[in-house]
Amino acid sequence: MPAKKQVPIIEGLFTWPSDKPQLIASRCKKCGTVTFPKAAFCANPDCQKVRENVEVIKLSNSGTLWSFTTQIYAPPAPFKKEPFEPYGIGMVDTKEGLRVLGILTTTDNLKTGMPVEMTAGKLYEDDENEYITWMWKPVG
Amino acid sequence: MQKFREVAIVGVGLHPWGVFAEKSMPEMAVEAIVEALADAKMEWREVESMAAGGYLWVSQREGMFGILSGTAISSAMGGIGIPITSCANACATGGAILREAYLAVASGLYDTSIAVAADKSAGGFFRPQSEDSQFDLDYIRYVMTGETNPAYWAMECQRRMHDIDTTDDDLAMVKVLTSKPAPYNLKTRYKKAFSKEQVLESPMVCAPLHLLEICATSDGAGAVIMCSLDKAKKYTDKPVLVEATVIGSPTFGDNTIPLTYLSTYPRPGVGILTESRNAIAAAYKMSGRKPEDVDIIELPDNSSWHYVAYLDCILQAQDGEAEKMLRRGEVDPVDGKLPVCPSGGLGASGEAVVAQGLFQIYELVKQLRGEAGERQVKKDLKVGLAQTYGYAGNNAACIVSKAW
Repeated sequence: MPAKKQVPIIEGLFTWPSDKPQLIASRCKKCGTVTFPKAAFCANPDCQKVRENVEVIKLSNSGTLWSFTTQIYAPPAPFKKEPFEPYGIGMVDTKEGLRVLGILTTTDNLKTGMPVEMTAGKLYEDDENEYITWMWKPVG
Repeated sequence: MQKFREVAIVGVGLHPWGVFAEKSMPEMAVEAIVEALADAKMEWREVESMAAGGYLWVSQREGMFGILSGTAISSAMGGIGIPITSCANACATGGAILREAYLAVASGLYDTSIAVAADKSAGGFFRPQSEDSQFDLDYIRYVMTGETNPAYWAMECQRRMHDIDTTDDDLAMVKVLTSKPAPYNLKTRYKKAFSKEQVLESPMVCAPLHLLEICATSDGAGAVIMCSLDKAKKYTDKPVLVEATVIGSPTFGDNTIPLTYLSTYPRPGVGILTESRNAIAAAYKMSGRKPEDVDIIELPDNSSWHYVAYLDCILQAQDGEAEKMLRRGEVDPVDGKLPVCPSGGLGASGEAVVAQGLFQIYELVKQLRGEAGERQVKKDLKVGLAQTYGYAGNNAACIVSKAW
């Protein structure tokens, strides 16, 4: 029986398939402002709203955990995680200066400031596919 | 800056907070309006302008009539042809519509106005309103990261505990304090006072926040009637002057990832909760008041984290001052030097999103007038401040005072 295909729940938010998935963000070439998900214009109020100033980038695969929690009860639809068990969520700082949300691969031994790297993980599956999102994994 | 004419609150009404599955939102609004009109000794036909709260969960309840709540409420009262706007500022809507109704009178265009909102959020709403995976950031955030409101608050709380010395005991004490006046507030939902042990023994929801440290969601409705101060004596002996009513929005570079967003790009020196800090700074500027002038506070205690974060914000204090005041007993809601959430706060009421700001204003007005019954605060009151904070960087604050 072939392994199921891993499909992002929403396409276009991170590079996939990949051994080291990266979030797909936008960065302003003039001022460096980064936004995720990618946006048409630079979000800096002092920067001109010119489409050509903004480029699509792949965000660094490694980051630092700024904060975290454990989500203990199952959030209602449309969020789906099956079979449900409590999961970690964190805010992660990347070297481009972005602070971004993501599920964590574990709820154990989490510490503010710990290094993390990005991976992808399954939230649920059906007969054909596993449905995945990006996740941050403690390293070292 | 040109001076506007002074505006007073002359009547307030509140539908109780709770769960009212059999009532529509316009129906609840009518009850609040009827009470406010009676309080103001005013007839419905005397109201000249209306600002109503635009409900958020319209894909689940009341659809168009939730968004276009103003005209739905007006039809339920009986149309009198007045100007009506329905405003959407999430949980800051109550404060935002106070501002809209205030401006109608302050500008001199209308002599009376009403701010009214009804909200049915009981049943734990707060979920994305579309399944638009291309443009609905809230939907994208929710399905890809599973971040709930309590998870967001817990992450902010955890960071605060890392940066300052906030303890689990501090977080539990917030609930002990806010629940103290709850048995005496007929309009609130949960009328039980809790001990620290009960709070700490309640189940963990999102670490470090326990169940009793997070507010529920509720149904509720409120109405606030205003007129120019020089005409207020026709309606009340105890006009409450609106010294400031402001809305704040975020500053680019805020260190917070606001709810419904997936990221932020923190800039040095910007800090967190900029929509709230901006609103508070504007409120002090508009009123000419300083934090030390404030006698009584209603703040948005959605969780124990909010209470301490918002107290620091409102007092423009160093991070952690709130915990010190809490530990010194200064913010007791009945006999504190600075009573905070004498209504019992969101902890006792549960949040009825777009009406919540009016719940706070109702409390401030009752307290200033000396009409809060068994939960009347002990100290002499002159100046009150209320603040609410909403999804996606919405915020509103007001400063009101005795004008008799």
